[in-house]
Amino acid sequence: MLCQQHGAKRVRLSKEAIEARKQKEQSKIRDYLALNDDILTRKRNKDYTKEAFNKTTQLLQLNPEFYTVWNYRRLILLHGIFPNSSPVEINEQLSDELSMTTVALKAHPKVYWIWNHRRWCLENVPNGPGDEGDSDYLGWKQDYWKKEMFVVEKMLDVDARNFHAWSYRRYVLASMTTPRNPKTELAYTKRKIEANFSNFSAWHQRSKVLTLLWSKGELDEHQSKEAEFELIKNAMFTVPEDQSAWIYHRWLVGEGHDKAILDREIDVIKMLLEEQPDSKWCLDSLVHYHLLLIRNHPSSVDVPALTQDCRTWLKELRTVDAARVRRYEEIEQELGV
Amino acid sequence: MSDLLVPLHVQYIQSLGKSQDELVYHLTAHLRMNAIYWGLTALCIMGHKDALDRQEMIDYVMSCWDEEAGSFGAHPDHDAHILSTLSAVQILIMQDALDRVDIDRVVKFILSLQQPSGVFAGDQFGEIDTRFLFCAVNALSLLGRLSKLDVEKTVGYIEQCRNFDGGFGSSIGAESHASQVFVCVGALAILDRLDVVDVPTLSWWLAERQLPNGGLNGRPEKLEDVCYSFWVLSSLSVLNKVHWIDADKLTSFIMSAQDPENGGIADRPGDMPDVFHTHFGVAGLSILGYPGLADLDPVYCMPADIIERMGLRKGWKNLERRTF
Repeated sequence: MLCQQHGAKRVRLSKEAIEARKQKEQSKIRDYLALNDDILTRKRNKDYTKEAFNKTTQLLQLNPEFYTVWNYRRLILLHGIFPNSSPVEINEQLSDELSMTTVALKAHPKVYWIWNHRRWCLENVPNGPGDEGDSDYLGWKQDYWKKEMFVVEKMLDVDARNFHAWSYRRYVLASMTTPRNPKTELAYTKRKIEANFSNFSAWHQRSKVLTLLWSKGELDEHQSKEAEFELIKNAMFTVPEDQSAWIYHRWLVGEGHDKAILDREIDVIKMLLEEQPDSKWCLDSLVHYHLLLIRNHPSSVDVPALTQDCRTWLKELRTVDAARVRRYEEIEQELGV
Repeated sequence: MSDLLVPLHVQYIQSLGKSQDELVYHLTAHLRMNAIYWGLTALCIMGHKDALDRQEMIDYVMSCWDEEAGSFGAHPDHDAHILSTLSAVQILIMQDALDRVDIDRVVKFILSLQQPSGVFAGDQFGEIDTRFLFCAVNALSLLGRLSKLDVEKTVGYIEQCRNFDGGFGSSIGAESHASQVFVCVGALAILDRLDVVDVPTLSWWLAERQLPNGGLNGRPEKLEDVCYSFWVLSSLSVLNKVHWIDADKLTSFIMSAQDPENGGIADRPGDMPDVFHTHFGVAGLSILGYPGLADLDPVYCMPADIIERMGLRKGWKNLERRTF
């Protein structure tokens, strides 16, 4: 009877079994509620002692989604523990906090509140160990951010689509005291993609990194797009039914102002269509790219012939992808008579 | 195709408030305010609003008031948060009890969460997300105080979250996700700024969320889940493209995720039901024109007649209600 459960199988229990489970839970409920009440009372009374802090550890291990207790824990650190600690001690305390959230994340990789607490910890790391002007003035921070990249990569090794982990990754990359070369990130996304072409999260990240490199002039847009077309072609021919590659391909082609690229990519897809005559993604992409030709290059293409091709493919699409038949009908209507 | 088991779902929702003898009931206290909103909305859509006691509900909501922060927490003595604040406002409006609230203080709380970038934090500790931005815009609109919002700054942030696939993510740079698409499109609809949406690309991306088994997923190459029936359909409704997916197949999928013994709807067939998926399953069915259900406003995710009466209706289009 959770509020948001995902993937928990329904099991049929007899009335007796349900009763027995409830009986067994009664002592757990009593203990939980006692701890719960104790903490919320202490919080109301602004108890910022170490004892209260330890109680929050206990409760968060039972329930890592209890956001009020995470909040209270931060208040204890800020008002009870940090004011009486040296920077070295604060640093050690935060290091313990991070270890605690690492354990929690392994068990609950999709709980917003744990990721959130981790960010808070990192943002509160003091300067040091050196003094201002020393080379290790930001040493602690630097070490943490480096370590965070390692942690987030471990998380993405376990679940390569975890969007919490990807968001956190972008946050770490943006926060590092010594920024990492974006080309390293580009290589990382390629590794992830080559491990699994269906990893759209990695394609997405790749599009962001490339856009950044192009805008900074660190990569030549035209040349690097050509390399991307090669990579994507490999994905399209390996798993033609996987939409990740096709969505990315559509981004690479963009508005289709470059007619040479459009023509070439259309030929590539036609080649694939010959191998896979009922490939929905081939057909849908061919329609889309032909519409771009008609829209952007009307004077240098045979518009009636292209329109006729689109009609043929749309008819095919209505059969192979019946669920979206109304979409194909509307596109056909827009083609006109 | 099996039918929507309305009496069982009503019973299921009623039973949720009476399960204090189960540990999970207590472990989910931090979601209680949302859970009541999900349960009440589902009941309204199924035509059984009175299945939960009105006065008891209003008293509970008011007992979650956080006097220090000046807004609502998820449970008595829990901290105020934008998620529970929106749910509280929605519940009080559905129960016609908004006069119980110190609206000025709630508005002040909400506005205090806006960041210089335009996005909103969930509470004073600063976690940011377009979900919170939507909660803020939605609540301000329901409270009649949108005029207090810096619309340009807010829309500016959403615009930066738009990706090449037409979708939106949880923050700048984040991958498109159907639930984040809903919050961004919903906020833009409320602010009358749908010009920010790349309609053809987004409609295409949303239509491609439907899988061969009829269910919808939230991102490319992921599993189907009943809750996306709402996130995807609500956005399609705002874009007037609900007919771009196969309504019969989706209806069958939602039906197959019902628990035919104890009521409730799960994320997918054979799984444990919960109030979150029960609500979003029923909400999806209402958008699909399922017979006998009340109309759901896909922007506010509340009964359409209430939003209409408040003069807040936007130009969405659900499928026409079918008759049995």
